[in-house]
Amino acid sequence: MSDHTLIGTRMPRVDSRAKVMGKAKYTADLKLPGMLVGKIKRSPYAHARILNIDTSKAEALPGVKAVVTGKDTEGVKWGVFPYTRDQQFIQVEKARYIGDEVAGVAAMDEETALRALDLIEVEYEELPAIFDPMEAMASDTELIHEDFPNNINIHVNIDTGNVEENFEKAHYIREDTFMASEESYFHAEPYAVVARFDHEDCLEVWCPNAGPHMKSKPLSNSFKIPLHKVKIKKIAIGGAFGGRSEICPADYICALLAKKTGKPVKIVFTREENTIATRQGHAMITTHKTGVDREGRVLARESTCYMDGGAYSSTGPIATSVPFLSMEQAYRMESVRYNGYRIYTNKPIRGMIRVHGRGFACGVDTQLDMIADHLGIDPVEIRLKNSRQPGDYTSTKSYVSSCAMDETIHKAVEKSGFKEKWGKLPPFHGIGIGTNSVQTGFPMGIRGGSQSFIKFNEDGEATVMSGVVDNGQGNENMLVQIAAEELGLLPEDIHLVNADTETTSSDPGSYSQVSTFVGGHAVKIAAENCREKLFKVAAKVLKVDPQELAAKNRLIFVKDDPEKSIPIKKVVRISLLNFTSVNAEGGYWPKVDMKREWVKNPYGQMCEAFSFGTTIVEVKVDPVTGQVEVLEATAAQDVGYALNPLILEGQFEGSVAMGGQGGMLTEYHEWMDGRCINPTMLDYKVPLACDMPRINNIIVESIDPKGPYGAKEAGMSIAMSAAQGYSGAVSNAIGVFLDSFPLTPDKILAAIKEKQTRQLKQENADKTEGN
Amino acid sequence: MEKIEITLNINGKPHEVTIYPNDTLLDVLRDKLDLTGSKESCGEGVCGSCTVHMDGKPVRACLTLAMEAQDAEIKTVEGLANGDELSNLQQSFIDHGAVQCGFCTPGMLMSADALLRENPKPDEKTIRKALAGNICRCTGYAKIVQAVAHAAQPQDNCCDCKSKE
Ligand code: FES
Ligand code: FES
Repeated sequence: MSDHTLIGTRMPRVDSRAKVMGKAKYTADLKLPGMLVGKIKRSPYAHARILNIDTSKAEALPGVKAVVTGKDTEGVKWGVFPYTRDQQFIQVEKARYIGDEVAGVAAMDEETALRALDLIEVEYEELPAIFDPMEAMASDTELIHEDFPNNINIHVNIDTGNVEENFEKAHYIREDTFMASEESYFHAEPYAVVARFDHEDCLEVWCPNAGPHMKSKPLSNSFKIPLHKVKIKKIAIGGAFGGRSEICPADYICALLAKKTGKPVKIVFTREENTIATRQGHAMITTHKTGVDREGRVLARESTCYMDGGAYSSTGPIATSVPFLSMEQAYRMESVRYNGYRIYTNKPIRGMIRVHGRGFACGVDTQLDMIADHLGIDPVEIRLKNSRQPGDYTSTKSYVSSCAMDETIHKAVEKSGFKEKWGKLPPFHGIGIGTNSVQTGFPMGIRGGSQSFIKFNEDGEATVMSGVVDNGQGNENMLVQIAAEELGLLPEDIHLVNADTETTSSDPGSYSQVSTFVGGHAVKIAAENCREKLFKVAAKVLKVDPQELAAKNRLIFVKDDPEKSIPIKKVVRISLLNFTSVNAEGGYWPKVDMKREWVKNPYGQMCEAFSFGTTIVEVKVDPVTGQVEVLEATAAQDVGYALNPLILEGQFEGSVAMGGQGGMLTEYHEWMDGRCINPTMLDYKVPLACDMPRINNIIVESIDPKGPYGAKEAGMSIAMSAAQGYSGAVSNAIGVFLDSFPLTPDKILAAIKEKQTRQLKQENADKTEGN
Repeated sequence: MEKIEITLNINGKPHEVTIYPNDTLLDVLRDKLDLTGSKESCGEGVCGSCTVHMDGKPVRACLTLAMEAQDAEIKTVEGLANGDELSNLQQSFIDHGAVQCGFCTPGMLMSADALLRENPKPDEKTIRKALAGNICRCTGYAKIVQAVAHAAQPQDNCCDCKSKE
């Protein structure tokens, strides 16, 4: 790999300059001629029938240009899968959560739009609401969606067989239940959308997204216009973290208002709307029953998970599966059974989030620590006994080609001094380890692949087109780095056109961690194809075989005789004079099992590569306040190959912050009768600079045989394992295995107190016995 | 409410604007003067993404009335660079990978710039404290803290410090 000029280097990101100068444009920064302000009226009730909507007063207000209600939508429904299409963009019959969309307004200015919202009169009939998933599941009569008995939206069942037999054989069995509340993304950029119909009746849309092609298709369906007439435009994006992956009702409402008024319309969410009406993580209750042999090897596991799915489904099948999948990728199990239930409640909509299933994942690792404790082995040993190995098949039959899970464990253990510290730290000082695995891609049918086009301009510079979107993680830089490397150009010679549905081909989007593996791969192949064309022409001029050539620093040269060279610009011009094109395309489609389906057939090759990560965390707990001080986090991940260590480290560090520090200590939602009572940054506590510990980053490379340069997913395995590492460390510090996440001071104090009471009772009992 | 005309001195230039007395400085910068570098993330004084300088001191533009800013020298992220030439701090953010989605970046830069003007050689703890009012969801702050620390004092042993003195 050493002959690369850019790949593998700490190249600073190409998009940073515009961002540090305040020049990068985000959706809310856009101003188009004649643009109107859009606002959405939302349901104040958690569950209510909509009897009548009177918009006449709002429409009469001077400055109001349009009002839309469910009547204008022709009843179109949204959901990622045909069987999860349960959400209307504007509700017609019922509102199902506090915040559900009931009408939209476009006006000259914000004040008028807000006044118009107040003037829309909605007559509701309140219905009994259900906020607890277990209660919802127990009810036959109170249904949130008529056609879903017991409010069960999704049931995923996975069974490898032999579970009972293996429990029989087990030396030790434990069954424990773990709980976790909902968490939110709190993207820095509140959601915003600008829409307009242009002079050719094409719908143009700007909005933060994790896949522009995932936005264009549903808009084309709902407006019944061809796909080529929906143009999702490139714009800077202030974070996604698993969200923003699909259409948002606001996109549709904004476009509808634009259509009705013939003007551009902009909707900018308040912070509260961004929390309530985009998506949130799922609250979950998970029971793991695990049977091990004498050495601590898992023979059988049965996991049952109940997820609070909120009012609508959409990505429900994925959400119900991913916590289990991450576990089955990370750990070997002789046999396993999973029952995941996603249950409708009258709470806001839920989706995928960066640490999807923190309660599930932390439960698996906490229970492993409990088992290790019982067997008298340490947490590292039990993980190494069960860790995934290269060449394995997962329980649901995915082949794992590259895997350096053990190396991540060994390196993190060494760097953190785990072995020296384990069991030897002073009271209320603890250390914990988490290990996890994340998929590089989901099965996505026709949208699973990515294609790229490259054209050379006559000045020897190149335009690269790719559907890949950058939410902040550095995807644009990744594409430029690959293209420049393969074409022998400098990064500044590449003009990237991306994340624009008019000019770029379909792409899976960034939310399944596949941008480098698939989108980057496509650019690499396109660039190789383009280079091949240039080499053919250059070979004639240099009178050598094309195979003898290489490209670097804007030159094509003979590998064994670098003095013999020709500028790329000249080759481009010679090609054009000789009627030879200097464009190329390339595409990459991961070989996954197309028959695999989340609910109906959850077996077969899930994706081509998996990443593996270990995080070790050291903490101190204040036994008086329950506050946790995190001293150090050591994060090691098998990323396949590090295309850019500078960017990778940033992903690791961000993952420790969101997955560990925030995810395990402070981030969760509180509720009162279905109303989220901490939707703003003032009451929802995200980590600050002063909270964060020192982070040690360890990049482990396994060179994936399919990934571009051997690269695969990077960062997410840290977010997941950080949550587990944090929970293990706090449990270790207080000497109680905690089962409710996040680990807030009240829970920590209660656990300490309970332990002390137990000890006191024991001492008294011992004394009485002694007497 | 009556509109009023005021003059704001921003990035060394006077700007005449007609505003409502209750318009925030952030709204006036973004909506009236097209200075959209300053961002609104929370709108209630928590996140720091709207941070600008008033007479060299960092303030939250979302909590400041435009009227209050009339007599001050206002500096926004657009005024950090000298034309095309970035400040050391801006360059350091780029070189150290301190920018991911970039939405918090303008506010971070303004808070950090104010700190460095007051204390050109802050230690890590001081930097973390000075940035404690700026929320970043992407970076985990490590590279931002490093970028600020190394902006004024490039380190020989740092592989990302480009401009070593
Ligand atoms: S927008 Fe001003 S502090 Fe958040
Ligand atoms: S870089 Fe995204 S919020 Fe800081």
